[in-house]
Amino acid sequence: MRKFLVVAFLLMTAVLFFAQTPKKGGTLVIAHWSDPISFNPCAKIDDAGNGIYPSIFSKLVALDHDYNVIPDLAESWEVSPDGLTYTFHLRKGVKWHDGQPFTAADVVWTFTQIKNHPEAPASKHFEKVTAIEAPDDHTVIIKMSEPQAPFIGFLAWYGTFIMPKHIYDVTKDGQPVDWLDNPANQKPIGTGPFKFVEWVKGDHVTLVKNPDYYMGEPYLDKIVFKIIPDQNTAFQAFMAGEVDVNNNVSNAHIPLYQKSPDTVALQRPAPSRYYMGFNVARRPSPFNNVKVRFAASYALNRQEIFDKAIKYGSVSDGFYTPAIPWAYNPNTKAPGYDPKLAEKLLDEAGYPRGKDGYRFEAVLVYFQGQVWADMAAVIKEQLDKVGIKVKLEEYEIAAYIEKVLKAGDFDLTVLNGFQGPDPDNLKLRVGTGGDINVMGYSNPKVDELLSKGATISDVKERQKYYFEVQEILAQDLPFYPIGEVAVNFVHKKYVKNMPYQLVGKVSINNFAKTWLDK
Amino acid sequence: MDVLFAKYLFRRILSAVLLIVLVITINFFIIHLAPGDPATIMTGLENPSPQIIEALKRKYGLDKPLVVQYLKYMTNLLRGDLGFSYVYDQPSWKLIGPRVFPTLSITVTASVLAFSLGTYLAVLASRLRKKFGDLIFSLISYVLYAMPSFWLGLILILVFASKLRWFPTSGMFDMRASYEGLRKVLDYLHHLFLPVFTLLLIQLPVFYRVTRASIVQNLREDYVTVLSAVGLPNDKLFKKYVMKNSIIPAVTIFGITLGFSITGAALIEIVFAWPGMGRLLLDAVFRKDYQLLLSIYFLMAVFISVAMIVTDIVIAVLDPRVRLL
Repeated sequence: MRKFLVVAFLLMTAVLFFAQTPKKGGTLVIAHWSDPISFNPCAKIDDAGNGIYPSIFSKLVALDHDYNVIPDLAESWEVSPDGLTYTFHLRKGVKWHDGQPFTAADVVWTFTQIKNHPEAPASKHFEKVTAIEAPDDHTVIIKMSEPQAPFIGFLAWYGTFIMPKHIYDVTKDGQPVDWLDNPANQKPIGTGPFKFVEWVKGDHVTLVKNPDYYMGEPYLDKIVFKIIPDQNTAFQAFMAGEVDVNNNVSNAHIPLYQKSPDTVALQRPAPSRYYMGFNVARRPSPFNNVKVRFAASYALNRQEIFDKAIKYGSVSDGFYTPAIPWAYNPNTKAPGYDPKLAEKLLDEAGYPRGKDGYRFEAVLVYFQGQVWADMAAVIKEQLDKVGIKVKLEEYEIAAYIEKVLKAGDFDLTVLNGFQGPDPDNLKLRVGTGGDINVMGYSNPKVDELLSKGATISDVKERQKYYFEVQEILAQDLPFYPIGEVAVNFVHKKYVKNMPYQLVGKVSINNFAKTWLDK
Repeated sequence: MDVLFAKYLFRRILSAVLLIVLVITINFFIIHLAPGDPATIMTGLENPSPQIIEALKRKYGLDKPLVVQYLKYMTNLLRGDLGFSYVYDQPSWKLIGPRVFPTLSITVTASVLAFSLGTYLAVLASRLRKKFGDLIFSLISYVLYAMPSFWLGLILILVFASKLRWFPTSGMFDMRASYEGLRKVLDYLHHLFLPVFTLLLIQLPVFYRVTRASIVQNLREDYVTVLSAVGLPNDKLFKKYVMKNSIIPAVTIFGITLGFSITGAALIEIVFAWPGMGRLLLDAVFRKDYQLLLSIYFLMAVFISVAMIVTDIVIAVLDPRVRLL
């Protein structure tokens, strides 16, 4: 018996040992939904590019798959007590893929470019930056005109990859070359775990490992991003073993992926949520009246909307995303399903049922796509029961932007979107004049709280302000929360240490530690 | 004759140029009439900052009056500048150039095969007229004709790539291998097969049915009756006269198909993840990448004009009744 136990113990140790020792080598093929626009990672909004950039480039600080800020090129950083000075201490001995040393000058150059290019996605986060300095090769100091608590979060998020000054800071005929016109945009040089090899537009992007990577030599020899725009084809290519990871997953295929024995198919919460916006003040509408907004909310059954249209993720009745737990107020809830109360409120608000049984007609505008069409159909049916006649209007995205975002010509609309990396994002969605405040919602108290929340660096203090914002939103009800978006991760079982499995260690889409067990 | 022919050619080329200018002009204004603009679409819905939109519009001159934009585009075109993609920040030709070969290798291959096979089968079927085989051919051609190309493509992937594993599902090359030389060419052909086969199946019925109808019609013509009456053997009559006459409509369609070949086959390219012109075109439409779109339209207009001129000349050679002049 004792002998057996010893043998069993040794066996288990061996199994654990072999299971956890990463194997070197191999090519990881990833099905990707679209080409990047270019390999200038800071110049434009480019979601497809952002799937690839983190393998080539690095940031000062980055986000992991739980949306925590983690160190990247900066080993550590400090914020002065007044919140006006940020000091970053950079890693030493980091090299660009062409062998040139990476220094603080690269950071200063990149951030100055971002600040000077108003069309760069991160530009507005640098509006309050007054100075970007490099006292030595390994220190960067950023000064602000006023405190900006979400700054580190935004620095870790979008369009803030550090670019090589020695490649981009060039002149042609005596004029500086704009970073969008630099040939390196087709053939990038970064500091990341993989080096660029080739980009056959519309077909694939190939990268090979960077043995000098500062977090250690990557295990994979090569990564190929194979561009497959159709989700059915991506599914077939994955099942046929032509690709190892699928970044282009249709929700319709999830049950099939889950049934496949050699596949990992997971949904993880993302700080993005589905909600229905009411037209609060952009044109005359019954929903200008808060009582009608409440009535419509009581008439809706979000569980049914979720089950029939969204299917993956989770139902939500709060006013911010639970994916950013410190800022999410679990005690504020949107109205639940209560059609009788809905009818009563509508009567009180002065919308009795007419001869045809309807109280009024409302236009629900949404953009193309199965999930939106399904959502709109369920909402129409539910509101119909309390006497609100809903007319559906579907537009392609460009027309939707004109109609809803620019003109405000709707009663109801359904949308979703990223609400991170910091609750400061709420300014865009519910702040007065916010870029995507389609509702036309405006409450001076909310604005005040949001701007206070952005200037204090203490998280506990900030939390108070954001909790109060959510309480006010629950009273004003400019939108009706429906569900939280889930991000799909589909890959073969032999692909180990995917970036999402290494929370706290590697950034989103950084395959430095990924290896193949085959 | 030569002088006359040169005159004819000159006239045709001149009208083609006018046509191309007209096509570009109409398209320029039509695509600007559609809602949305590249700057707004580029910024998307997550974070549609007006600051970004304005800066982009200024950068690309989209804030200028439409007529000014048009004149600038036309002047550049005259200088040989096809245009500039706002989305990719690249001259159009740099985006279009690499797509030409993959596009034509699908469309031209499929069209040539569809034309030859389609007409051949039609001739074969007409010899079997009122027989069982003819019925089968016609039935199949109707079914194929009605089939949506992306659906057919997916079914072929399912059968020949996923189940049988005879062919890869998509793309141009095997991503796990890095072949060189002849092996690379073979890998390319291996990947090329299914998309070409799909397009062939879609185009075949067109050529088949047109030729088939044309043969039937020709057989009823007086000259056939007369030649038959004077004792010309049926076989000779068919090969020497009927076939030559019957093939003309198919040649016309073949010319048009070749003219369009440069624009690719968007749906098939999407299904097979093939980096062709169709996908680039569709993408440019969705993103309102005005000048890239116009560049592809320009190329298309040139291709079609040339194809039409060549087709007319070929038909004149085939059919002496047609006079070019």
